[in-house]
Amino acid sequence: MIIDFSSMSPLRILRKSSQKGLGRGNLGVLMARAGVGKTACLIHIAFDKLFRREKLLHVSLVDVPEKVTSYYNVIYSDLVKALNLEAEHETRALMERNRMILAYLNQSFEIERLRRNMNNLKEHIGFQPDHLIVDGLDFALTDRAVLEGFKEVAVDFNAEVWFSAVSHRHLPGRNERGIPQPLSEIDDVFQIILQLMPDATGIHLNLLKDHDTYGDPVASIRIDPGTFLAVSKTEASSTL
Amino acid sequence: MNDIRKLRNIGISAHIDSGKTTLTERILFYTKRIHSVHEVRGKDGVGATMDSMELEKERGITISSAATHCEWKGHRINIIDTPGHVDFTIEVERALRVLDGSVLVLCAVGGVQSQSITVDRQMNRYRVPRMAFINKCDRSGAEPYRVARQLREKLNHNAVLMQIPIGLEGDFEGVVDLVSMKAIRFSGEFGEDIIEEEIPPGLAETAEEKREELLDAASMFSDDLTEAILEERVTEDLIHDAVRKGTLLRELTPVFVGSAYKNRGIQPLLDGVAAYMPSPLDVENTALDLDREGVEIPLSSGFEQPLVALAFKLEVSPYGQLTYLRVYQGRFAKGTDLVNTRDRKKVKVGRLVRMHADTMEEITEAGAGDIVALFGVDCFSGDTFTDGRLNCSMTSIFVPEPVISLTIRAADSKSEDRMAKALGRFIREDPTFRTHVDPETGETLVSGMGELHLDIYLERMRREFDADVETGIPQVAYREAVSRRADFNYTHKKQTGGAGQYGRVAGYMEPSGDGGYEFVNQVKGGAIPTEYIPAVDSGFQSCLAKGPLLGMPVLGMRVVVNDGHDHPVDSSEKAFKTAAVGAFRQAYPKTAPLILEPVMKVSVECPSEFQGNVMSSINQRRGMILSSAEDGVFTTVDAEVPLAEMFGYATALRSLTQGKAEFTMEFAKYAKVPESIAEELKAEAAGRRKGGKK
Repeated sequence: MIIDFSSMSPLRILRKSSQKGLGRGNLGVLMARAGVGKTACLIHIAFDKLFRREKLLHVSLVDVPEKVTSYYNVIYSDLVKALNLEAEHETRALMERNRMILAYLNQSFEIERLRRNMNNLKEHIGFQPDHLIVDGLDFALTDRAVLEGFKEVAVDFNAEVWFSAVSHRHLPGRNERGIPQPLSEIDDVFQIILQLMPDATGIHLNLLKDHDTYGDPVASIRIDPGTFLAVSKTEASSTL
Repeated sequence: MNDIRKLRNIGISAHIDSGKTTLTERILFYTKRIHSVHEVRGKDGVGATMDSMELEKERGITISSAATHCEWKGHRINIIDTPGHVDFTIEVERALRVLDGSVLVLCAVGGVQSQSITVDRQMNRYRVPRMAFINKCDRSGAEPYRVARQLREKLNHNAVLMQIPIGLEGDFEGVVDLVSMKAIRFSGEFGEDIIEEEIPPGLAETAEEKREELLDAASMFSDDLTEAILEERVTEDLIHDAVRKGTLLRELTPVFVGSAYKNRGIQPLLDGVAAYMPSPLDVENTALDLDREGVEIPLSSGFEQPLVALAFKLEVSPYGQLTYLRVYQGRFAKGTDLVNTRDRKKVKVGRLVRMHADTMEEITEAGAGDIVALFGVDCFSGDTFTDGRLNCSMTSIFVPEPVISLTIRAADSKSEDRMAKALGRFIREDPTFRTHVDPETGETLVSGMGELHLDIYLERMRREFDADVETGIPQVAYREAVSRRADFNYTHKKQTGGAGQYGRVAGYMEPSGDGGYEFVNQVKGGAIPTEYIPAVDSGFQSCLAKGPLLGMPVLGMRVVVNDGHDHPVDSSEKAFKTAAVGAFRQAYPKTAPLILEPVMKVSVECPSEFQGNVMSSINQRRGMILSSAEDGVFTTVDAEVPLAEMFGYATALRSLTQGKAEFTMEFAKYAKVPESIAEELKAEAAGRRKGGKK
């Protein structure tokens, strides 16, 4: 059973991406100001993958697993209603079987530790993720070496890696490619950069970088602020 | 002596065989509480004083924590000696709940071992300041510097050596005190004479280097010390004050070295307890106000305040039940009334004693900070006592859920009463030991923290209660359920002379969402007369207690009855009830019935290097791993595992992780048993039925 979530998934924005998506071995990032809904949007991306029966590793650098699980459960309940999912318990079982949560609490995170943990998952229980969702990485304090480490993990484990990043209103401008801080110095590491932007009409998801292309002015979708599902195509964001 | 600032309530806890019982023995000797020394497994056959239970003396491990007190240089020290085995952690937990500080005993050879890690985590939970004693420096392979490093690396302590050893292994002679910068040697038959002398030249450089480290660490907690270091006018008092401050903040762990067995290093450790461990005034305690919906109220350690005391341990002594109390606030005297805030019952303080292993000293009064014992008070472990002026409860002691169960039965009729008496006593003493009668099988089950834990109680039943007890293998409580809708249309007809029986019921059964039983009456036009409907319901319900597959209860079924027929003469409640039973039997096989098993939420905590082993062990037990959380040097793996696969897990986990992991489990849900196992279970059940028929 594969659930077609593509028309409503926030990842619909990548339909017209040059490579139809992020691609294995690559890093993608979803940035937004605090409180806009990065984690919710990231979990929708996770469901997009889980509903395709792909394996997903959620790496949390802040929250304990119980909290991550409860995020998933709340969003899942909304999706059951929005998608009119039948055989709900089977879908839930599918989600639980294909999702793994790794949490790194109290600054326990190191790339080598992640690599060790992923090897344990692969060798001891046969869990090899197709996608990683990394939530809670503080980009203001993260140096390039850590991101390069993630890139190596993505390549070595043949997985896509999605991050969330907090952007700050008070931090000055964008780089010449239109990428705001805190990613302006490290945008080359990512193949896809998405930005959630709230305005008076709702929330827009903008594609700031699509592999080698920056700032495609038509690549923006509107997100339902209640469900974080894609609503309709909108005009290009004025911020691009 | 009533100066509460000079009172120390400390625990001594560590990995089994680190020598903490020997250490306690020496402390009692040097503080003149005992006048001779007996070894844990000594040739004199007396056994260590703190190991007061016969079984402990025989096994050489401490099973019950024995409380005692002593005095050292004007300080009164209450000590709880705690067990080292992982199965007895409730004892450690209780001790930590009531103590203000703790000495973590480490083996100079074994270093930071599994139980040290577990105990340290427990100390964190109760925010207990601690100091460390690296014992057994006389042993071959002793490496105290490595152990101090492990304290930093494995336990994340800001560990700082207060001493360095003079010689090691067979050459271990004494210690260099890095505060006074003097060498300390111990002479006399039991090391009771202390000789202070100059630091041996060969150790001077190391001593200077380690003192620098000590000053660096301590100066973080004292500007005065920092200034004094810069101005080169450091005094012993400045160092003591800074180390004490850091220790009380739980940001510094002073480390002492020695050998309890060889009588070296114990007196300086006692000096350290007096200097660095908190007094009751240094610890913030709170109680929950039962009159104000459990609002936390601070306790003050004042003698004149309303009394608040916690019963943290019950023991059965030859003179009756002994209740250990920690007094947090106020005071009480022999002959006064106390109120147990759990049931608001008053109890009179009869005998009031201060415990010293298995002997006791009668006292007339106890006050804030004291650890004392009462005789003849009927209560449970964890009860709070007041003088009636407050109605509050101390935060309950964390009680881990039992992880293993066994069926037990008395071997003969004499033992039945004795077993019941023993069980009644054990559950009052130990909240991690539980017992209940399985309503389905009628068997008595005991549950506890591990196989050894239960083993000890079973042995105590035999020894102390003369109860001959046989044990069985625990049984998993399987359930059955229907998985799809199936129709029924059943006629019960019996005409064998006399009054006949007639009833027809029709409708369907299907899974209900909530796991319960639901009966829906959709009969129209009186096809089944209303007076017979309850009998139909009752007939279906009677089938649920024992499902046809395994004879286990059936969960989650909705029965809808929408048609039927009666006979004006032969129909009766009995006939319709029998018809419903027939209808159930007719439809049940068509519902594709399932066997369900209890699935437990299992949480395993282990040092991170064992994550892979733990995951494998769960995977091999049909478990599904949900998450893994890394925190410092530890990993917690959460999973769902069928209960049937969890028996023996404590032992397996111990061997997989060198005893460094612990796990908890609780019921999560019922889930479908895999087909192959379902077939085995059905075959077993069929075998039992055949056996029963013979």
